[in-house]
Parts: sequence; C-alpha cells; structure tokens
Amino acid sequence: MITDNQLNQKKEEIKDDITKNKVMLYMKGNKDMPMCGFSNQVVHILNQSGVTYEAKNVLEDEILRQAIKEFSDWPTIPQLYVNGEFIGGCDIITELFQSGDLQDTLA
Amino acid sequence: MNLINEIENTIQEHIPDALIIVHNINNDGEHFEAIVISESFNDLGLLKQHQAVMKPLKVAFDSKVHALALKTFSLKKWNETKQNHATIEQKIKEKYQ
Repeated sequence: MITDNQLNQKKEEIKDDITKNKVMLYMKGNKDMPMCGFSNQVVHILNQSGVTYEAKNVLEDEILRQAIKEFSDWPTIPQLYVNGEFIGGCDIITELFQSGDLQDTLA
Repeated sequence: MNLINEIENTIQEHIPDALIIVHNINNDGEHFEAIVISESFNDLGLLKQHQAVMKPLKVAFDSKVHALALKTFSLKKWNETKQNHATIEQKIKEKYQ
C-alpha cells in the first residue's frame, strides 16, 4: 500500500522535475523503448519536433505512477509538462501537434 | 450494463447537456473512443475540456478501462466545424434525433 507520505514526497520530486526540465514527459517505457502505444505516439511527436526533453518511466516506479495522476488530476499516462505546466495526454499532444500549436508551446 | 453505457452515463452525469458518442475500438473491451460535445466547453481550453470528461472516469480507469481516445468539441466549435466531421455528425443524428 502506498502511503500518503510517499505520495507527497514523490509529488515534491515531480515539482522538481518539471521545474528543472523545460519539457518533461512521464511515460510507460523510455524514449528508446516506449512500452505503450500512446507513450510511443508522444515520443514520436516530440522527436519529430526536435525538442530536447527529459522522460521518466512510470513502470519502474509504482509510487510515481500514482502520484503523477493525483498531481495533474489526470488518470492516464503519458503526461507532458512544458515550463512546469501540465499540457495533456496523448490526445491533446496529438491534436496540438496536428494544429501546429505544439510548436509554439514548446518554443 | 456494459462498459460503453457505464462510460456514457458517467460522463452524462457530470456534463448533463453533453452529446456523447462512445464506442469500443476493435471490440476488445479495453480500448474506447469517446466524442463529447457540450455548451459548458464553450470557454474552456482543450485541456480543461478533457479534464472535465476524464476526472469522473478516474474510477473506471483504475479498474476496467485501459485506454480512452477522447475528442471534445465546445458546442460553438462543433456548430462551426461539424461539416468536417460527417461520420460523427451522422452518429449524433442517429442517437439524438
């Protein structure tokens, strides 16, 4: 059972991650080996936009996997953060990419 | 009650005026697609629209639903762009008219 204390500590870590890294992706798997279609799609989009980004694998950290969903009030993975702000999951990133708005968000 | 109705009812409960289409991609019982159109989205950004739909579905996500591809429209945007979405428009007509 994951305790509140563990979750809160992890949320501090998340705050740290998204402050230090302009573009921060929480995903299943890693950049070279995404482990889920949706994570793969977002990695593909980020690679195509040529932006440098940091990624963390929630499959390696059950506490992170739960904490991130509470932190952003969003129930699924992947989750993308830019400039410390939650941008969205796969659907929104794809829609922003197709409309060209993602480029401005990442700029 | 199957999962499609459960997803639809959950969204309807939280967004009473919404037009909702849900279907199960490849009938695998795990991957779903939902289209939600609501006047309450009129001045909400895309993320807020999606959060309004995803939040009430948290329990379903924790247990049964593996993935939900989501498409949302404010009523305003829907009326402006529905001609580009003939298949969705057709489904909405069948269901609500």
